[in-house]
Amino acid sequence: MAEKIFTRNFERASSHTLAVYRETGGYTALAKSFQMEPAAITEEVKRSNLRGLGGAAFPTGMKWSFIPKGGTAPKYLVINADEGEPGTFKDRYLLERDPHALIEGMIIAARAIDSHLGFVYIRGEYVQPWRVFSGAVKEAYEAALLGKNIQGSGFDFDIVVHRGAGAYICGEETGLLSSLEGKKGWPKIKPPFPAVKGAFGHPTIVNNVETIAAVPHIINRGAAWFAGLGTKTQGGTRLYSVSGHVVKPGVVEAPVSVTLRSLIYDHCGGIRGGHRLKAVVPGGSSAPILTAGEIDVSMDADGLKAAGTMIGSAGVIVMDETVSIPEALMVVARFYAHESCGQCTPCRESTGWIYKMTHRIVEGKGRKEDLDTILDVAKRGAGTTICAFYDGAVGPYVSYIEKFRGEFEALIPHEA
Amino acid sequence: MPDAKRPEFTPEQIAEVRRLQGLYPDKQAALLPVLTMAQETFGYVSLEVEEYVASLFQMSPAHVHEVVTFYTLYFQQPKGRHVVSVCHNLSCHLLGAKSIVEHLTRRLGVEVGETTADGRVTLLTVECLCACEQAPMMQVDDRYEGQLTPEKVDRILEGLR
Amino acid sequence: MPKLTIDGREIEVAPGTNLIEAARQAGVEVPHYCYHPGLSVAGQCRLCMVDIDKIPRPQIGCNTQAADGMVVHTQTERVLETRKSVMEFHLVNHPLDCPVCDQAGECWLQIYYMRHGLYDPRMVDEKVHKPKAVPLGPHVILDAERCILCSRCVRFCDEVTGTGELGIFNRGDHSEIGLFPGKTLENKYSGNVIDICPVGALTDRDFRFQVRVWYLDAARSVCNGCARGCNIEVHTSRRRPHHNQGRRIARIKPRHNPDVNQWWICDEGRYGFRWIDDDTRLLAPARRTNGKDVQIGWDEAITALAEGLKRYRPEEIGILASPQMSNEDLFALQRLVGQLGLRAVDHRVPPRVPGDEDELLIRADKNPNRRGAELIGLGQAEARAVLEGARQRRIKLLWVFQHDLLDSGWPAADVTAGLAGAEMVVFQGPTANATSAGAHLLLPSAAYLEREGTFTNFQGRVQRFRTVAEPLGEALADWSVLGRLGRTLGGVDPVFTAGRAEQVFAGLAGQVAAFSGMSYRGLGDAGLLVKV
Repeated sequence: MAEKIFTRNFERASSHTLAVYRETGGYTALAKSFQMEPAAITEEVKRSNLRGLGGAAFPTGMKWSFIPKGGTAPKYLVINADEGEPGTFKDRYLLERDPHALIEGMIIAARAIDSHLGFVYIRGEYVQPWRVFSGAVKEAYEAALLGKNIQGSGFDFDIVVHRGAGAYICGEETGLLSSLEGKKGWPKIKPPFPAVKGAFGHPTIVNNVETIAAVPHIINRGAAWFAGLGTKTQGGTRLYSVSGHVVKPGVVEAPVSVTLRSLIYDHCGGIRGGHRLKAVVPGGSSAPILTAGEIDVSMDADGLKAAGTMIGSAGVIVMDETVSIPEALMVVARFYAHESCGQCTPCRESTGWIYKMTHRIVEGKGRKEDLDTILDVAKRGAGTTICAFYDGAVGPYVSYIEKFRGEFEALIPHEA
Repeated sequence: MPDAKRPEFTPEQIAEVRRLQGLYPDKQAALLPVLTMAQETFGYVSLEVEEYVASLFQMSPAHVHEVVTFYTLYFQQPKGRHVVSVCHNLSCHLLGAKSIVEHLTRRLGVEVGETTADGRVTLLTVECLCACEQAPMMQVDDRYEGQLTPEKVDRILEGLR
Repeated sequence: MPKLTIDGREIEVAPGTNLIEAARQAGVEVPHYCYHPGLSVAGQCRLCMVDIDKIPRPQIGCNTQAADGMVVHTQTERVLETRKSVMEFHLVNHPLDCPVCDQAGECWLQIYYMRHGLYDPRMVDEKVHKPKAVPLGPHVILDAERCILCSRCVRFCDEVTGTGELGIFNRGDHSEIGLFPGKTLENKYSGNVIDICPVGALTDRDFRFQVRVWYLDAARSVCNGCARGCNIEVHTSRRRPHHNQGRRIARIKPRHNPDVNQWWICDEGRYGFRWIDDDTRLLAPARRTNGKDVQIGWDEAITALAEGLKRYRPEEIGILASPQMSNEDLFALQRLVGQLGLRAVDHRVPPRVPGDEDELLIRADKNPNRRGAELIGLGQAEARAVLEGARQRRIKLLWVFQHDLLDSGWPAADVTAGLAGAEMVVFQGPTANATSAGAHLLLPSAAYLEREGTFTNFQGRVQRFRTVAEPLGEALADWSVLGRLGRTLGGVDPVFTAGRAEQVFAGLAGQVAAFSGMSYRGLGDAGLLVKV
């Protein structure tokens, strides 16, 4: 059984408290990091092969290095705790069961990028996680782990906990920044990129909760150790959120090289109630679907990319043979239509249009042109939008129809 | 008595607004937290509340209205004493969200989006609350309730006054 | 200065130029909706995509700055297909309102569909419905279904007027342009959102359903509402006299002039042209006989005025010129004044209410040619002294150009006394008013929109206005009447024999140093600054 890193505290009583966090070595990485130069911290994270664990899998150390060095402009560290990708719930567990891991990781990351003000943007629906995390921040301030001259290091860092108000698009990093600034969660046109011009017009790094929670471990046990746990291009273990028709849904920690088959059958007890696996969404709803015959795939960023899908948020949704794929697509299409921010034309118009078509098909009123229209509209819109939200919608639009076309066609009335 | 039609914060609340505004490099960043505070105080975000909050930020009311109409957690009409939001996204759909919603509409006697006549419960369907391991699930006020069955739903409803 | 290649054409542009502007300079059109040079970049419509060498995906042109060595392609298969796709997305929920929409004929959905779309529509589901025909303010009416959510209007109200009335509410395909419920769009520049709206979402209430745009003729002019002289284009309805309720002018649009009014015009200027067809227009010379105005011919009118000018001594003649008159009118008057040796001449009649001014376009002086009157030298006396002279009967012939002295900053009693004191009151102007009602001789002026000429704005910019419509009745340009008068009085100044405004202006350029070297050709469409 692989070593537990992210989940090591999850089952401990009062794991969210500073006292318990310290019992398992909490905040020792912080002390160690104060002996390191900021550039060395970034180097260590680079060599660990840590990739963003929120959805885009961008190399974390490389992202940090995009912050311009020097200059008088303030730099901000923003944590994306707007977990919203369907099938994903791991950040919720981290916020509720190991909030200090995020705080410790934030302070270390902040030093690396020369930030003295961090924001943690928590989705509005996460009330309990917000309360627990806010409590941990308060404890940290009281223990002089936050604020001025942390642990006598001379380094100042403040954390502002900020609640969202209900919009999936605020999980997109620049949509999050717009929302943080007190506006609608409209993603920003790029360039400029956040590292150059982000929150409030200043250089900003946006990282996922889990990504930053990995940092203390990397500092404590070294980049080589972390890198060695994974594949050649992605280091470490990560948290997989497994749900749907499995016997034991929940958060599973495993090395990034774990296979999808192993996750489903070894870690989650296989398919419930004697049913058969039909399909799996491997990386949150935006990831192209895999058939039952495609689960011998490594659940790391590059492995899934090679399989024509993506790791995304590592939200694994398992479907058995009772599932109607057309209905599942309608549910997913409804989600994208509801969450489209509306800023740019291709996404705004086609998410609504495609939902109407999938709904019509499920109601038995589909037309024979509909499937090809959906595919064509989706492919025409891909790559034309301000942000990747629409590309995330295209994942299911195209893969569900292309891999299960017969099931859709069976719902479309034949002409007399 | 806080009145959504004639909204006014207490001096302590105004101090809290200014404190929140001071946390950020640009005070407009406090808009969402202050709107949340206003909703908790006045019950919902009426147009009068929007204009009042706009004045606290020296913003045009139109831009506050943009924010209120964009985010799903702001209620522009009075809501019930309790808000029940049932997730109808993929994992919950796979595990029977539809029948949970139907059960709730029957039990409460309202359609989705409506509030019971006695003002007790507003019933909503929502997108992924990210508690898929507990599917089918719903949010009841501040807490998540998962592994729902019709019986569990009934027990939860009984506890809502 | 970056040098780049667009569709094989090499050009050099100023640093910071985006690819839409760079392409424009290279003579290549990059279609776009949300981009506007006077507003911030939004990058929302996604229509302006172009291919750039070494960049794998097409990029939006509005947000891409021209770089040295950049190679841009606007006609690749991929760009053309992307434009088609984006046109389809824009039209998916667009209502088929063309037959009842004022924008038809100048609608950028129509234009770009014909140029870049031409696909077979395949949307068979119910379109999203939104509010239609919603008045937003006194001048603007909204059709939210037609709106393509380019956000130009929102950015205009935020960035240009700073009033922030408009927003985009909700999200997804239920996004909707609107005002805060209960508020109105009543800033002084509200009409500009109609110009910048590429489609028929924001249209002009004044112009609504009046006449189809393809029946309109256009003439370049300048606004006469204040001393800024915003550049305008006047659209007339001549081909369908039974439309537009028979009125000649259909609407006014601003013309771009980066030094005067950028892309904008205030609402007062935009809608302040109805006077041209009002029934207060003076159509023929007239003489007061037995308390009634009797219409006379120009011969008789000129003779009567000439006799008056000969009968009285120079110090008994007072003239109140108007800063509403063109440079040409004022110059011809100045020549006459010189010939007759008149001294009691001025243009500075105070307004009843001080004019409002703002930091954008509006000037407190509500006259288009105050600078012209000053530079041409028609301010020798004090206007008040001229009125006083009339009141004390020292001035026996009072010649008033355009002013309504009874609606000025002078006490009405003083004005009445002044008008009563003069033996002969001559009124020359386009429109009757309370002052003209008491005049002994009425001379009808052709409105500035009915002829050629120039004004000098507050910056000292001399700007041409061109004939928009024919003069009404027998009205004539003031410089032409003054020329005839000058000849009748034996004057030989070449200005008095000018047949065209251009010739009068040439005379002005030759005589007044500030205008030296200028000509109509040189003024072009953007004007020239006077020499100080």
